[in-house]
Amino acid sequence: MKRLIALLVSLVVLAACVPAPQVVEKVVEKPVVQTVVVEKVVTPTPVSVPKEEKVVMGFPRSETLFAQQLTGRVGTPDNFNEWVGWKNRDRGMAQLMNEPLWTIEPAVGEVINSLAAAPPQYNEDFTQMTVKLREGVYWSDGVEFTADDVVFTIEKVKATQGLNYNVQLQGVKSVSAPDKYTVVVELTEPNSRFHAYFLDRWGCLFIMPKHVFEKVEDILTFEYNPPLSLGPYVLHSYDPAGFWTAWQLRDDWERTPTGMLYGQPKPKYVVFVTHQDPASAVIAQVRHELDTAQLTLESLRAVLAQNPYARAYRREFPWVVNTDPCVTGLTFNTLKPPFDNREVRWALALAIDIVSYAANAMDGALMMSALLTPSVPLYLKEYYQPMEPWLRDFTLDLGNGETFKPYDPEAPFRLAEYARSRGYVVPEDPDQIRATFGYGWWKYAPDVAAKLLEKNGFTRDKDGKWLLPDGTPWKFTVLTDPNPGHHHYQNTFAAVQEWRKFGIDVEANVNEMWSTLNLNGQFDISTAWPAYEPWGGHVDLYRTFDNWNSAYVEKELGKPHYGHLSRWSDPRMDQVIAELRGTDWNNTERIIELGMEGLKIAVEEMPGIATYTYVGALTWDEYYWTNWPGAENIYTQPYHHWPNFKYMLPFLEPTGR
Amino acid sequence: MRFVRRYLIPRLIQYVLVTWLGITVVFIIPRLLPSDPIESMVATLQAQGTFRDPEAVRQMVDTLRDMYGLEKSLPEQYISFWKRLLSADFGPSYFSFPTPVIKLIGRSFPWTVGLLLTTTVLSWIIGNITGGLSGYFTGNRLLKIVDWIVMFLRPIPYYVLGLTLVILFAYLLPLFPFEGGYTIGAKIAFTWSFIKDVLRHAFLPALSLSLLGVAVNHQTMRLIIQGVKEEDYIRYAKIAAVKERAIFGRYAMKNAILPQITGLTLSLGQIFGGALITEIVFSYPGLGFLLYRAIVNSDYNLIMGITTISIIAITTLILLVDLLYPLFDPRIRFR
Repeated sequence: MKRLIALLVSLVVLAACVPAPQVVEKVVEKPVVQTVVVEKVVTPTPVSVPKEEKVVMGFPRSETLFAQQLTGRVGTPDNFNEWVGWKNRDRGMAQLMNEPLWTIEPAVGEVINSLAAAPPQYNEDFTQMTVKLREGVYWSDGVEFTADDVVFTIEKVKATQGLNYNVQLQGVKSVSAPDKYTVVVELTEPNSRFHAYFLDRWGCLFIMPKHVFEKVEDILTFEYNPPLSLGPYVLHSYDPAGFWTAWQLRDDWERTPTGMLYGQPKPKYVVFVTHQDPASAVIAQVRHELDTAQLTLESLRAVLAQNPYARAYRREFPWVVNTDPCVTGLTFNTLKPPFDNREVRWALALAIDIVSYAANAMDGALMMSALLTPSVPLYLKEYYQPMEPWLRDFTLDLGNGETFKPYDPEAPFRLAEYARSRGYVVPEDPDQIRATFGYGWWKYAPDVAAKLLEKNGFTRDKDGKWLLPDGTPWKFTVLTDPNPGHHHYQNTFAAVQEWRKFGIDVEANVNEMWSTLNLNGQFDISTAWPAYEPWGGHVDLYRTFDNWNSAYVEKELGKPHYGHLSRWSDPRMDQVIAELRGTDWNNTERIIELGMEGLKIAVEEMPGIATYTYVGALTWDEYYWTNWPGAENIYTQPYHHWPNFKYMLPFLEPTGR
Repeated sequence: MRFVRRYLIPRLIQYVLVTWLGITVVFIIPRLLPSDPIESMVATLQAQGTFRDPEAVRQMVDTLRDMYGLEKSLPEQYISFWKRLLSADFGPSYFSFPTPVIKLIGRSFPWTVGLLLTTTVLSWIIGNITGGLSGYFTGNRLLKIVDWIVMFLRPIPYYVLGLTLVILFAYLLPLFPFEGGYTIGAKIAFTWSFIKDVLRHAFLPALSLSLLGVAVNHQTMRLIIQGVKEEDYIRYAKIAAVKERAIFGRYAMKNAILPQITGLTLSLGQIFGGALITEIVFSYPGLGFLLYRAIVNSDYNLIMGITTISIIAITTLILLVDLLYPLFDPRIRFR
């Protein structure tokens, strides 16, 4: 018995220790023709494999890129009609098949004119928007893309209840095409951000091919299979069980915006595969069967340890991508006492030691963000850097004439020190440290936090535990979703630990129903985004601020609220929102001024605590493809699940293996 | 006729009542949850980047509620559910709108049935034979080794066992694929090469399920047969010099197998719920993940579709066993 147990244990231990096994590849001796088909989809396409070509999973490996599908198994594999409900468009529809009018580029900090030839132009009172379209773009069936397609899409979506964006387009009075490449949209009311519905930031309203959809009787049940493409790839085949989708480079790729802007995408085939279990994704990458994946930090480390060809966004610690335009952290339910008190909210922020918090959440591999907006390159330049003097001077009133300046520009250096103590290689250059770990955060000042609480009637019992002003123990929960790999979850446990250390009886509420509880205000503190996600590639923060608009706030907890979950509002923020509405999207100077004004109000009021910018544990295998957009070579956003993936593919280089 | 009037008809009425009650309970329970299909859909669209202003979202919620029929009162929804059910239509999935539930189930059903039916039956047969032998012939060394293996396997959490098999047979010794139902890019066809491909992909999931299934059946049968071995009729047979093999096969196993048949029936009924962890560890298609996603997203129609099929399967199998039991156990007779 003992021997048997010893044998099995040895095998499992061995599994963790052995080097990566050889790639399982089939060497095809003769030219073969494999038929790869899917029912109803494109006519079976023979994949001709030249002599000696390596074939992995049915595709010539040197010409194929395998990418992980982020949102998991596709629920409706036969259906490509993304104008109805959710269709797992990260199966390649968003990245390879769709071209929007405009695409946001958060890593470089720009807006790309995709199908549009130029930024949108509004009239003076924002009741008319004109879009100039790119000429020479063709659908994958050879029909030219024109203004008629855009006009048809807007009219169809507006007229059909149940289509995504149907409600948003009710503000359209009329839409016309004065010529083949110009679209003019008349609006019923001024709307300076109408074009944002067509601006792709992980999704937007895409354009329908008029010549297909005008013949469809019931658009809601139409499966749009096979779909047409405006992007550089067409659907090749897919798994009816929803685990993979394969795409093939269009012969006429140069007639797509991707081809026109960046040239020929290098892989002939791109296959998106769902790996239900993180361990499967790790094994696939170690076997060189998965070229790009977003994993957990632990899985990333496993891949780097086992696959000598694997790399992360940064080649050294902290490895992770920090250009994602979302800020993570903690959202207060500001309609619920005592979180309706800004000084209580500030006390909780000052009770957090961001270094210990970062260590618990991500082993220090993160970029701290003090403002309620992410530390993406554009915002570092336009908001974080110019606002530093104001942040350093920002003062809290502790009562009795005592004041405190909470901003701590030394926090990133403390985090770097922590990383060094863990044995990681960390740059010495202060600028590099700031670019890696962020510009600063709030001081760890439990004594100041205590003063703020005491100023508001809080006391401590004999064990040092905090009591509410009415003398009862201060207890609350931090709500999170049950995905341990998500930053919501990681923020939750890091915060709970910090506040317990401070003497508060706080617990994590890990809940499958968290989105419903969030929506209905049934939480104390939630780790949902502390601020609505901004564009990242454009300085406009209207999208974030408007979610704090007092006009939307549902005051009754238990009823759904569709603005920001904090249900916080402020008349000063309403004013900023109103001014942004009257400011043209192209007037970036004024937008930045208003953005700073709004961010200052958010700092003062602290409706949520921003902790760190969303970081992604992205891994690339350089066995077959190189020149990925890593931190040292950031030519586009690095994720394979963002729409910009198609703009990355022309820059990849095959290794010839 | 007396059997039909006094037993069969009341039993059939009971069958219909239990099925109706089960389906009704499943209709009500998801609607008592704090989650809501529309809110889940809205949350997904928001999380996946759909730009909206809060007022637009509120209007969208109203539109979707109306379109999905959730504006109707609970009794109205209940009546329209039964109307649809009687024409074998569970309506559209809310989360995968407008795909019909029956299509979603139909896509996953063959994978689940193929895998779970085979492994359930196989592990039942193997486990009962080894368990029976081991419980009866307690002195046999080989069977003692089997007992040890079973004792070792039984407490291993399924996830760990599945992952260990993947590491051993798909990573260290790459004999089998580590995930999927068939090779990426392969054409689905009723050909020998495709069947071989499906069987290769199903091997590790089937092995993981079978190993634990055999262990459970083995241990249960072993205990049952140890009790049966002490019965008077076994002793009498031994005294009467009936051959040991005959005692084991004709008397001991035949009696010990009866409760195991009921167990098999229930296990077969439960396969319609799928095997969630198997599907996750091996990225294997099936009903388990479909049901999980339906519950998380409060997709009432999809929950109803899967559970209704499961309830009907279980109650029908129990009915059949009740009716067929006299064939297995001659002591049971209708009087």
